[in-house]
Amino acid sequence: MRPIIVISALVVLIAGWFVLNPRQNKATPITLTFHAQMGDEPLIYDQFIYDNPGGQGQFRIRDFRFYLSNLSFGHGDETYAEPESYHLLRFDNADSAHSITLPAVPLPSIETVRFLIGVDPAANSSIEVRGDLDPNSQMAWNWEVGYKFVVFEGALQVGGDVSPLVYHVGFSENAREVEFSVPAVVLADGKQEVHLTVDLAKLFDNAAQIDMQALPSVKFNRTDAEVLANNYANMIAPSF
Amino acid sequence: MRWVVLILAAAGIAVAGWMVWDRMRGLTATPIADFSAPFVFGRFAVPPDNPLTQEAFTLGRHLFYDPILSGNNEVSCATCHVQELAFTDGLAKSPTLSGGELDFSSMSLANLLWGQERFFWNGRATSLEEQALMPIQHPDEMGQDIDALMEELQASGSYRKMFRQAYGAVTPENTAKALATFMRLLISSNSKYDQYLRGEVRLTAQEEHGRKLFMAHPDTKVSLRGGNCIDCHSQFLTSGFRDALDGFSNNGLDPDETLPDGLMAVTGNPVHKGFFKVPTLRNIAVTAPYMHDGRFDTLEDVMDHYNDGIVVSDTLSPLILEADNAPEAGQETVGLRMTPDEIQAIIAFLHTLTDEAFLTNPQFSNPFEGGS
Repeated sequence: MRPIIVISALVVLIAGWFVLNPRQNKATPITLTFHAQMGDEPLIYDQFIYDNPGGQGQFRIRDFRFYLSNLSFGHGDETYAEPESYHLLRFDNADSAHSITLPAVPLPSIETVRFLIGVDPAANSSIEVRGDLDPNSQMAWNWEVGYKFVVFEGALQVGGDVSPLVYHVGFSENAREVEFSVPAVVLADGKQEVHLTVDLAKLFDNAAQIDMQALPSVKFNRTDAEVLANNYANMIAPSF
Repeated sequence: MRWVVLILAAAGIAVAGWMVWDRMRGLTATPIADFSAPFVFGRFAVPPDNPLTQEAFTLGRHLFYDPILSGNNEVSCATCHVQELAFTDGLAKSPTLSGGELDFSSMSLANLLWGQERFFWNGRATSLEEQALMPIQHPDEMGQDIDALMEELQASGSYRKMFRQAYGAVTPENTAKALATFMRLLISSNSKYDQYLRGEVRLTAQEEHGRKLFMAHPDTKVSLRGGNCIDCHSQFLTSGFRDALDGFSNNGLDPDETLPDGLMAVTGNPVHKGFFKVPTLRNIAVTAPYMHDGRFDTLEDVMDHYNDGIVVSDTLSPLILEADNAPEAGQETVGLRMTPDEIQAIIAFLHTLTDEAFLTNPQFSNPFEGGS
């Protein structure tokens, strides 16, 4: 009698494991694709076609890139945080776009997305290579200062004069959290991609309007850096 | 008679066995898994089809120093890449076979596993394997027909053996792989700066001042003085950046009218006109003259260029154009406008990048001169 009971108990246990296991078949693949824009149009590099928002002249873009870190996803009360989540987003490609793909987020579906523009304080003061963080890269100021979070380089043309534009925004206090909900319909029917826009215009024309002639560079002045951080805080938005 | 046959048979079996064993050994070259490289150098990638092995390094070292690689059997890689000069040649531009000079200065070969993954001043090679065969076949550099070289190597018993042990057959591809392996293992990591990073030594006050200036982009708004070196030369490697084409820059040597193509010759993109590979500054004190065309004889000349000799062109790095230590904008010159003491401090720091152990490492020396 006893062996039969034991075997039955085992069978029930194993069947129960498969029937009730909450993690079974619940991984969700997802791709976040960021499209760099100026206002509503795709970003164009290296041409003096954009107006100085707060003053005279036109500007061109040579380089625009930023760190996105601490990416996490929510479903009800559950959250999943991507490990080693440090992405350098750059847009110098044919589509002016950058994709982040997670093949299996261990959640039944994705209701919310959250990340930082910038780098968390612990990683910002470390020289460890993690994700796209690299202390020997262009994004590192040096190991005593940390990383640039958002980089814009270009030039301003006023009349016949061309002058450099250098906006390097870092410092841990300037990381900005972005959070948004994903309506169920976006990822219904096997769809796996969420599109977002990165509106570079907001960096210079948002809470504060920047005259690039008066403020052609931002580097280590913390007041100036905070002004730009408050501007880029909402430069990323989902486009459903 | 029977005994003689038996002994001969036994000897034949032994020889055959040894040959089989030797060939088997050739198929399992000894991996180099434990070479030392500082943690701060960061990630590196070795091509999966050319793992670092002792046998490949040995073969590559012999090829590097052997004039058999050139058409006239007089020029080796080492002719223009001399170990005690951190594998440069001390000339502004390297000589051509016909007695003229090449377009570019011989590049230092150190820490090629890290930093920018394109090679040559204009980035025309995307791997060391691709790079390795180009000077050999260039009519002005080594002027060698690659098939003729294979015949010469094939005729040499010792090369046949080294190839077999490292890779198998004597082929152009395996020649490139061996040279690439040798170059990858030219690692310089025992300069005073490395020792400082490991906490073993202290820098002098002047060197430390120079280090701080090296690592800072100047910002007069917060009274931060800087030499701006780090905007192109990464803090630990001191080379150009790895990511995409970040390791190339226009550093203000020529006006638009005479600006050479540089990286544009490779990418076809006009925004890359005048961009050249940012070199490592490891051992920079022994690699004069400087720049892609060797136009500056001394580090003082180089610092003078960055201090007040920047020539403006359309593709000039905005980071160079914008970097200025003087609060009042623009006089006649463009540059960092540092004090003589600051310039001397940066030069003192640059001297801490000299790695005597690298410059004299017997493993990197000419194997035909009784090196180990």
